[in-house]
Amino acid sequence: MSTREVNILQGTLDLMVLRTLQTMGPQHGFGLAKRIQQISGGALDLNQGTLYPALLRLEQRGWISSKWGSSEANRKAKFYELTRAGRRQVERETEDWARTVEIMARFLRPAE
Amino acid sequence: MRTLWQRVLAFLRGRRLESDLSAEIEAHLEMQEAEFRERGMDAAAARAAALRDFGGVAQAMEDYRERRGLPWLEALGRDIHYGLRGLRRNPGFTAAAVISLALGIGANTAIFSLFHAVMLRLLPVERPQELVSLYRTGGWSRGFVSYPLYREIAARTDLFSAVFARTGVAKVGFNPRPGGRGQFCQRELVTGNYFQALGVGAAMGRVFTDEDNRVPGGHPVAVIGYDLWRDQFGADPGILGAKILVDEQPLTVIGVAAPGFHGVEVERRAEVWVPAMMAEMQFQNPRNWWILVMARRRPEVSERQVQAAMNVLMAQHLRAIYPTNYNAAFRQRALGQRLEVRDAGIGMSSLREDFGKPLTVLMAAVGLVLLAACANVANLLLARGAARRKETALRMSLGATRSRLVRQSLTECVLLAIGGGALGVALSAWGRRVLLSFLPDRAGDPFSAGPDNAALFFTMAIAAFSLALFGVGPALRSTAVDPAAGLRAGSAGRGGRPVLRRALVAAQVAFSVVLVALAALFGHNLFALRSVDLGFRNDSVIAFSLDFPRRLRSDYDASIRQLAGQLEQLPGVSSVSYGFPGPFLMGTSSASIRVPGSERTAREPADVDTAQIAPRYFETIGTPVLLGREFDSRNLNASRKIAVVNEAFVREFLPGEKHPDSRWLSFDDSKPEGGEPTYIVGVVRDVRHTGIQKPPRPTVYSPPGQGPSRGQPTIVMRTQAPVTALLGPLYRELSKVGRGISFASIGTLRHQVDESIYEQRMLAALGGFFGTLALVLAAVGLYGVVAYGTARRTSEIGIRIALGARRGQVIWMVLRDSLVLVLVGLAAGLPAALAAARAVESVLFGIRSSDPATFAATTAILAAIGIAAALLPARRAAGLEPGRVLRHE
Repeated sequence: MSTREVNILQGTLDLMVLRTLQTMGPQHGFGLAKRIQQISGGALDLNQGTLYPALLRLEQRGWISSKWGSSEANRKAKFYELTRAGRRQVERETEDWARTVEIMARFLRPAE
Repeated sequence: MRTLWQRVLAFLRGRRLESDLSAEIEAHLEMQEAEFRERGMDAAAARAAALRDFGGVAQAMEDYRERRGLPWLEALGRDIHYGLRGLRRNPGFTAAAVISLALGIGANTAIFSLFHAVMLRLLPVERPQELVSLYRTGGWSRGFVSYPLYREIAARTDLFSAVFARTGVAKVGFNPRPGGRGQFCQRELVTGNYFQALGVGAAMGRVFTDEDNRVPGGHPVAVIGYDLWRDQFGADPGILGAKILVDEQPLTVIGVAAPGFHGVEVERRAEVWVPAMMAEMQFQNPRNWWILVMARRRPEVSERQVQAAMNVLMAQHLRAIYPTNYNAAFRQRALGQRLEVRDAGIGMSSLREDFGKPLTVLMAAVGLVLLAACANVANLLLARGAARRKETALRMSLGATRSRLVRQSLTECVLLAIGGGALGVALSAWGRRVLLSFLPDRAGDPFSAGPDNAALFFTMAIAAFSLALFGVGPALRSTAVDPAAGLRAGSAGRGGRPVLRRALVAAQVAFSVVLVALAALFGHNLFALRSVDLGFRNDSVIAFSLDFPRRLRSDYDASIRQLAGQLEQLPGVSSVSYGFPGPFLMGTSSASIRVPGSERTAREPADVDTAQIAPRYFETIGTPVLLGREFDSRNLNASRKIAVVNEAFVREFLPGEKHPDSRWLSFDDSKPEGGEPTYIVGVVRDVRHTGIQKPPRPTVYSPPGQGPSRGQPTIVMRTQAPVTALLGPLYRELSKVGRGISFASIGTLRHQVDESIYEQRMLAALGGFFGTLALVLAAVGLYGVVAYGTARRTSEIGIRIALGARRGQVIWMVLRDSLVLVLVGLAAGLPAALAAARAVESVLFGIRSSDPATFAATTAILAAIGIAAALLPARRAAGLEPGRVLRHE
C-alpha cells in the first residue's frame, strides 16, 4: 500500500465511526465508509471491509445499535445509530484524544 | 461481561446472523457498484472496483465471525465432531474403553453411595458434629439403657447442652384414617426434647416439647414425617388435629416434621414420632433396658472428658442396681457393662456397627478396579497411538501443532470418560439394587431417598480423575513423534520396547493380585461358615414369630396350640411346633442353675441358656436326639418337671457321664444340692441359636409353661412348600384363631441363616465380581502387550527358527515375556494383598488373614492367566515359517 496514505491507528477507527454517527445521525455501513474517506480527504487508506468488524465491536460494547431499514435508493440496508452510552463515549474519547494530541505536539515542537 | 454475553447470544443464533452478515455486505457492494456505474463504468468493471475497494470479502467476514461468536467453542465443537467420528470408526476400541470405564466407575459409584450413606453423610440437623450417642456395651441388648439411667445422664448439664432418648425405629401397624385399611409405618418413641435437641422444626403445626412427655400413657399425640404427610395425606393441611391409629393406639397429629428429616437412624427412616411416655414400659425399673440415649456435647467439653465422666457414672449406677445378693458370675458380667461415647453426627447405623471396616476395605478394593480399568484404557490408547504414528507424523509435517494434536486427543478421552461415566451411572443404579438385595431385611434401606448429589459428584470426580490417569499420558506420548522419522518408519511404526505399556500391565496384575486374594479369602471364609454344623437342617423349615394384639399378650398359650394344630392340617406341611425363643437368632434367655453332683456348680451356680419348646420341636427343625427322647404331648404333666439338654451342657456339667438322662438339675440355685428337681429326659445335638460364629452354650430346653422365662413365640413348620404359597393359608388360619394376630419375619431357616452372614456373603460375591473383573482386564492387558512384543520380534523369531530353535524354545520365549510381568505384579501385589487381608480380619471366621490356601490359589490363578494370555501369541510365533518371514522383510 502507498506510504503516502496514513494507516489507521488501532482504536481511532472507533472514534471516527462514533463521531461520524454523531454528526450525521443513523447511517448504513457504506455511507459511513464513504463519509470517513471524504472527511479524511482521501488521505486514509480505509479498507472498507475492516469497518464491519469494528461496527460489531462497537455494537457489542453497547455504544451503537443497529436495525434494518431502507436506503435513499430504496435498498434494504442495515442502519447504525449512536446510543446514549455511545454519546458519552464520544465525549470521553474526544477529550482523551485532544489531550493525547496536545502531549504529542509538545514532544514534536521544533527544538528551540 | 456485556461483550461476552453478546458473544454467547451470537453463538446461539449463529445461522441467522451469518445470513445477516452476507446481506449487509452485499448491500454495501451494491451501493458502491451503483455509484461506480453512475460514474460511467460498465457493470463488470463496477463490480470489480467495488470488490477491490472493499478489500477481501472473505477476510472481512472471517474477522467479523472471530469477533462475533465464541471461536474457541466452535473449535471445540470441531474437535468433538472429529473425536466422535474417530470413535465411531473404531467401534471395537470404543466399546472396550467405554465398557472398562463404565464398569470401574459404576462399581465405584454404587459402593460409594453405600459408603457415603453409612459412613459419611451427616444428619440434616443443627451442628451434627456435637451429637454423641451413649451406647451401652458388655451386657445384654447392646446400646439400650434404662429410663432411670437416662434421667441420670440427662442431669449432667455440665457435659451436655441437651440429652434426649428414643426407642429406635420399629415397623408397627398403622392406620391413616380410623376404619381405613391397615398398613405399616416406621414409628419411633422419643422424649419430649427430641426435636429441639436436634434443632429440627416443624413444617406445619408444632413438634414435641417436654410438656408432651410427662405422664406415662397420658400423651396420645404424634408428629408425622414430611414424606408420610405428602404421600399418605396428599399434603393436606387439615391433618393437624386428625386422628391416626399407630400400633392400635389412637393418636392426634400435632405437627409435621421439617422436610428431609427422617430421624437419626441411617437405614431406617422414622415416619411417625410418639412421646416416649406412650410406651408401655416400666419407667422406674433400672434393669429394664429399652431406650437409646443421644446427647449434644457442650463444645468446651472434649469427648474424652465425657467418656471419663460416663465411666464413673455407669460404675456407680451399676453398683447401686446390682447389690451383692446377685449370683457372682452374673453380677460380674453385669458390672462389666460400660457406657460408650460415640460420635453420632452421621446418625446411628447398625450396618456401620458390624460392617464399617469391611466396607472401607471394599471401597479401597473397588478403587483398585477403577485403577485397573484406567490402566486398560491407557493401554488401548497407547496401542492405538502407536498404530497411528504415521498419521500423526503426517499431520505434524502438514503444520498441525503438537498442542493442537494433544487437545484433539484429550477431547477424544473426554468423550470416552463421559460415555463411561454415563454408562457407569446406569450400571450403579443396578449395582445399588444388588447391594440392597444382600442387606438383611432388618437393615432397611440405607440409600438416600432422593437423588444422591454426593454420589453424583463423586462419579464426576472419579470420571475426571480417570481421565487424567488414562488420557494425559497417552496423549503426550502419542504426539511425541518426530515427523520425519515417523514417516520414514513404515506403517508398523516400530518404537522402542513399550516400557510404559509393560509397566501399566504389571500394575494391572498387581491390582488383580490384591482383588483376587481378597476374593479367595472371602470365598474361603464363606465356605468355612457354610460348613459349620448348626445343629438343625435349614432347608424346608419355615419359621416366623407371632405378634399378638394387646388384649391377648398376657396369655396366648392356648392360641398358639390351636394355631399349631390347624397349621399341621395344611397340605404339604409335615410337622409344626413352636418355641420361645426360636431356633436361630430369635433372642436368648438365660437362667442360673445347679446340677447336683456336678463339680461345676458345687460352689456357685452357673448360667445356662434356656428355651421353652413344644413337642416335636427337634423333629420339626431336624435336630438329632442323641439320647433319650424329646417332649411328647402325651407325657407332659405339670407335677414332674422335665428338660432336654444339649451336648454342650453335658460337656460342661456332666463330663464323662454315660447316662445324662438319669440326672437332674434345678433352677433353684440357692444351695449346691439344688431345690425342686427338673429331670433330664434327653440330650440333643448342639444348636447354634446365637449365630454361626458363636460356639454353642450349655442350653436347657423346657416344655412350654414350665421354664423360668419366655421370649417371643416362634412357630416352626417343616414343609416343602415355598413361603409365598403358604402366606394365604397362614392368614386364613390366623384369622380363625383370633383377630389381630400377625406374623413377622417369616422365612425359611436357610434364609435366616443366610441373612445372618450377609456381610460375608456380600463380601464374597462382590470380591468375586471385582476379582474376575480385574483378572479379565489384566488378561486383556497381558495379551495386548505380549502379542505386540511378539509381532515386533517376528523377524528375530524367524531367524531363530531358521537357525534351528525348537518350537518349545520359541513358545517358552513368549511365555517368559508374559510370566515376567506376572511375577513383577505378584511381587508388588502380594504384600498389598496381605495388608488388605489383615484389615478385614474381623469378618473372617475359622481362617486367618494369612490363609495359605488363599495366597497359593491367588498365585496359581495369576500364573494361569499369564500363561493363557500368552498362549495365542506363543503358538502363532511357534508356527512361523522362517522363509516367508524373511522374504517379507
